[in-house]
Amino acid sequence: MSRRALPAFPFDNRRVVGILFLTPALLYILLLVGFPFLLAIAFGFSDVTVGDTDLNFVGLQNYMAVWENDVFRQVFETTIRFTLISQVFILIFANILAIIFTQDFTGKWFARFIFILPWATPVSLAMIGWLWMLDTKYSPIDYLLLQTGFLGPDGILSNNRNLFWLATPDLSQISVIFVQVWRMTPLATVILMAGLSSIPTDILDQAEVDGARFMRALLQIKLPLILPIMVIALLFSMITMFGDMTVVYVLTRGGPVDYTRVLGLYSFQVGIEGGNLAQGAAISLFAFPLLLAMAIFMLRTASRAEVQ
Amino acid sequence: MSIVQVTGLRKYFDAVRAVDGVDLAIEQGEFLVILGPSGCGKTTLMRMIAGLEKPTAGKIHIGGEDVTDLPPRKRGVSMVFQSYALYPHMNVFNNIAFPLRAQRRELKFDKRAIREKVENTARLLEIDMLLDRRPRQLSGGQRQRVAIARAMVTKPAVLLLDEPLSNLDAKLRANARDELKDFQRSSDITAVFVTHDQIEAMGLGDRIVVMSEGKIQQIGSPQHIYDDPANEFVATFLGSPSMNILSSDGFRFGFRPEHFLPKTLNDNPDNARILQYYVKRVEYLGSDRLVYGYVHGHEDKLTLAKVPSNVRVSLDIEGDYEFAVHNSDIKYFDAVNGRRIEQQNLARAL
Repeated sequence: MSRRALPAFPFDNRRVVGILFLTPALLYILLLVGFPFLLAIAFGFSDVTVGDTDLNFVGLQNYMAVWENDVFRQVFETTIRFTLISQVFILIFANILAIIFTQDFTGKWFARFIFILPWATPVSLAMIGWLWMLDTKYSPIDYLLLQTGFLGPDGILSNNRNLFWLATPDLSQISVIFVQVWRMTPLATVILMAGLSSIPTDILDQAEVDGARFMRALLQIKLPLILPIMVIALLFSMITMFGDMTVVYVLTRGGPVDYTRVLGLYSFQVGIEGGNLAQGAAISLFAFPLLLAMAIFMLRTASRAEVQ
Repeated sequence: MSIVQVTGLRKYFDAVRAVDGVDLAIEQGEFLVILGPSGCGKTTLMRMIAGLEKPTAGKIHIGGEDVTDLPPRKRGVSMVFQSYALYPHMNVFNNIAFPLRAQRRELKFDKRAIREKVENTARLLEIDMLLDRRPRQLSGGQRQRVAIARAMVTKPAVLLLDEPLSNLDAKLRANARDELKDFQRSSDITAVFVTHDQIEAMGLGDRIVVMSEGKIQQIGSPQHIYDDPANEFVATFLGSPSMNILSSDGFRFGFRPEHFLPKTLNDNPDNARILQYYVKRVEYLGSDRLVYGYVHGHEDKLTLAKVPSNVRVSLDIEGDYEFAVHNSDIKYFDAVNGRRIEQQNLARAL
């Protein structure tokens, strides 16, 4: 196109329109992701606290202090453990549910709608719901178990009238993992459903004519074909979960003792509640290289699987 | 005995009658082509034979056994899809081996037998050097061969082919057609081939089933269907350019463009119908001249003539000429239902 033929109306200019369309996304990333991220890095290398907001460079001092802290080590280990265990269950449930929801049955839309609710509900609200469900004294689950004879004086599970869902070391961890799985499964399911419905019908029909029964079609055709999408789903839920603090903040505040304290919560407790902004930033940044490496590895796996 | 017997087959998708009462007997070892425009129900008919679609009504027998309610794997059929539907994550070997492995229990194959069968079939289709490749590394023609190999490896009673040539470019297609026919004849397999391409149908079919609006319009050999169409639909659907149809009192009559020639070429004018023809335009197609014009008294209808290039008669634009058609080349159709009327019955029909 010659220079003279440039359009007169500014919106006909590709550059103008391009900049216009990109600006909101750029602003969002710069202001709400980029700026806080850089600020956290700056904080992590300084001695800033709520009481003294001057940024004095202290090198790796915060990171060394955090790393030598036993509580941090336990928190870090707990976070990884919770994330890995819950991902296993999320993947299993999401696969099963995605297969169910891509079949034809009456009431499918209603079932899908009900099922998506845990994910659509604001986290804090949903967690307050679970706080009641798992209440030490008035838990409806305990009540049902009591009525059916599993709890109470001659109970099979315990002689007590309650199981103390959020108060014993084992049960509190199981409860937190369970709630995380409950909350994250819908997203993974939706992603896997998209993957399953993107498999060409011809291929599934072909497998059927070729004589494959349900399990063979599933294991040898469907799952391998949605593997790249499964990796994306896994990545999403792992990263969300690794950085999450809302669930434990509402349910347990990290207790009993430190059994359910995870990285996000610990960083918040040290940095905001404890006022040590510098150490809080250092704690949260510990997750960054780990997540980055994980993301790069998984995205590479996914793209390699795709080109095959 | 027929290998496939279809009786009173219907398939309704809500209000749409995709297949609306089809009776069909497919003979052992024949190459049967189901031909029809898109939406005529030909693919649905084939999918019902394969077991991928449950009929609304009717019965399907394969090899004498009622398979109407059986799943695809129990029918002894295999299928080649238009898209070839190769499993993209498996190499060629595993693609071809898939049906063997899936039916291992029924067919009792061990690992060595599977390898042997895959290699034999691959050799037969000349793709034995591609066994380690993935589908995306293959050309269109190679993919098609892999799909056919996968369909043939279990030695099915019936091979169903759903427009398997339409994804190939024109040059390859003629070649693939020839090979497919050779292959079918030498392996003596029963093939059912769905297509909307009349040239493919004429070239491949031992018999052609012409379908329209869910119903069979005519069954017969390519020659029979072309020369002796059962109704106006079959007459106009086959042949390119299609048959000229003109209206007369109470009936319609048609003749093919290649039968509509200058009168001077006609050796027996007594046996021919002479028509005054006004030439509007002439296209030179190399082997033929395609003439567009109007028959006197039928100016509402563009009428075509296909004149072979070895006919030297000059045809000028805007000129009036006498053209002739052999009486035996004129087909008469009922004006209301389009059904064919024999010439001797014409007087009675009027």
